[in-house]
Amino acid sequence: MVKKKVPDWLNSSLWSTTTAPPPPDDDRPQRYAAPKPVAAAASAAEPPVPVVAPPAPAPTHVHAPVPVPVPPRDVVSVQQEPPKPQVIVSDTRPSNSDRNDDENGSFVQPQLLSELSKKVINVRELRRIAMQGIPDGAGIRSTVWKLLLGYLPPDRGLWPSELAKKRSQYKHFKDDLLVNPSEITRRLDKSTIYESEEWKCESSGFLSRSEITHDEHPLSLGKSSIWNQFFQDSEIMEQIDRDVKRTHPDMHFFSGDSSFAKSNQEALKNILIVFAKLNPGIRYVQGMNEILAPLYYVFKSDPDEEFSLMVTGVCFSHSISVCHWFCKFLLLAPFSFEFLPSKD
Amino acid sequence: MPSRRRTLLKVIILGDSGVGKTSLMNQYVNKKFSNQYKATIGADFLTKEVQFEDRLFTLQIWDTAGQERFQSLGVAFYRGADCCVLVYDVNSMKSFDNLNNWREEFLIQASPSDPDNFPFVVLGNKIDVDGGNSRVVSEKKARAWCASKGNIPYFETSAKEGINVEEAFQCIAKNALKSGEEEEIYLPDTIDVGNSSQPRSSGCEC
Repeated sequence: MVKKKVPDWLNSSLWSTTTAPPPPDDDRPQRYAAPKPVAAAASAAEPPVPVVAPPAPAPTHVHAPVPVPVPPRDVVSVQQEPPKPQVIVSDTRPSNSDRNDDENGSFVQPQLLSELSKKVINVRELRRIAMQGIPDGAGIRSTVWKLLLGYLPPDRGLWPSELAKKRSQYKHFKDDLLVNPSEITRRLDKSTIYESEEWKCESSGFLSRSEITHDEHPLSLGKSSIWNQFFQDSEIMEQIDRDVKRTHPDMHFFSGDSSFAKSNQEALKNILIVFAKLNPGIRYVQGMNEILAPLYYVFKSDPDEEFSLMVTGVCFSHSISVCHWFCKFLLLAPFSFEFLPSKD
Repeated sequence: MPSRRRTLLKVIILGDSGVGKTSLMNQYVNKKFSNQYKATIGADFLTKEVQFEDRLFTLQIWDTAGQERFQSLGVAFYRGADCCVLVYDVNSMKSFDNLNNWREEFLIQASPSDPDNFPFVVLGNKIDVDGGNSRVVSEKKARAWCASKGNIPYFETSAKEGINVEEAFQCIAKNALKSGEEEEIYLPDTIDVGNSSQPRSSGCEC
C-alpha cells in the first residue's frame, strides 16, 4: 500500500498555534474564565445548590459566564427526539438566574468546568473527565469536542485568533471549491472578450474552421479544465446529495421541508464536498455523513451560534483524519483497507 | 445418511446507490416500507425462511452499499452466492446503464464455476414514483437487455407499495435453490484446534 501522506493543507501553518493577541471585543475566552462573582458562588466554587427558577426569556447575548446544566427532563427529550434546536438553544442558554441540578452530571461538571477555566487546558485531563460524559447545555460539549479534536489549542488566550483564522480558512475553501464553473468562465470571458471581437473583424472571406480548444468551456476535455473537473465531481456531489438527504431522517433538525432542515442539509453538503475536494485520495465515502452529523449537530446547537457555524467544516476534517488513521492502522489494516485508497 | 442438500441460500443484491436495495429487502422480509432508510455502509443482511416443495430453506439476503468505493469489499461479500439480484431505478437511466457493470463486476469477483449460467434476477424498482410519469427506462428496453444476457428474469417492483416484491423474491429463491443444488458441496478439511501435539511451523515466530 502506498505510504499515506498527511495532506498538505493539514500541515498548513494555519493550523498551528501562533501567538496573537485576542481581539478586545471577543468575550469568548471569558466564558469559562473568571466567573462573575454572583454566578461563581452558585456553581463553580461551591457544591451546586438546586435552585428552581423559571428560564429567563432568551437573551440575545450570553450573559452568564458559567455554563449551567440542563434539567434531566430536557436531556431526555433531547436524546429521544430532538426538538428544533432553536428550542434547545433557548432552553439551555444560560440565563441570569442560575439553574443547577444535582442529579445530572453533578460529579463531572465541577471538574470539567474547573479544567475548562484554566488558562492552559490539560487536554489529557480533559479527556479523562469527559470520558464520564459531558452535560448538555451551554455549549460545554461543543467546546470540549473542539479541544479533544485538536481544533482549539489548549491555551485559551489563543482561541479568538485561532478561530478567526480557521473560520476565514474554511470560508476561503468554500469560495474556492464550491464555485459554479460558469461563474468562473464568465469571469474569464470578461477579460478575453475584446480579443475575440478583434479577431472577428480580421477574418474575411472563408470562415475559418473553429477548433475545440482546451480552454474553459463545457465541452473541454482539457485535464485542467474546470468544466471537465466539474463533471467529474458531479458524480460525487450527487452521491453526497443522496446521502445527506438520508442522514438522520428521523430528526427534524436534518430532514423535512423546513427551511431550517434545508439549511442544515446544505451545510452538511458543503462540508462533505469541501472535504472530498481537499482530499482527492479519500474523497467521499458513504458513512462520512454519519460521522459529520453529530459533530454538526453539537456545534450548530452551541448557544453561541456565531462561535460555531464555520467551525464544523474544519473540525470535521480533523475528526475524519483521526478516524481514517485509526481505522487504517488499528482496525482494518489486516484486511487491506482498500475503500479508502491512499492516492494523495 | 440424511440429505446433504444445503438449506442456506445466499442472495446478493447489487445496484447503484439509492435505487432501493435496502427498501426491497425490508419490504420482502419485514413487509414494511419506511422513508427513513439511511445509506447502507458496507453491507448488511437479513434472513428469511422460505418453503419450497415441502422443504424449508433459509434465504440469506445480502444488501450491499451502492457506492462504487465499496466494491473492493465485493470478494468477501459475493463469495458463495447462489443468486444475484440486480436492481435499478426505472426513473434513472444511469442506474440502468450501470447494470452491465454490476453484473460483470459480480462475475469477476465472485467467479462462479459456471458464469454463463449463474442465476441473475433484474428488478426495475420505484415504478410508483410520480404515477410512472417520471419514468425514463421503458419495460421494453429493460427486457431487451435481460434477454441479451441469457434471459435473465425481470420484474418491475415498487418497494414502497409492495408491488411484485413477493413474486420477485420467490423467483429469486427458486433460482438460488436450483443453482445451490447443482453445486457440489465442498467441505474443506477441518482443522483440529484441540490437538496441541501438532508440530508448530518452523517459520518465523515473531
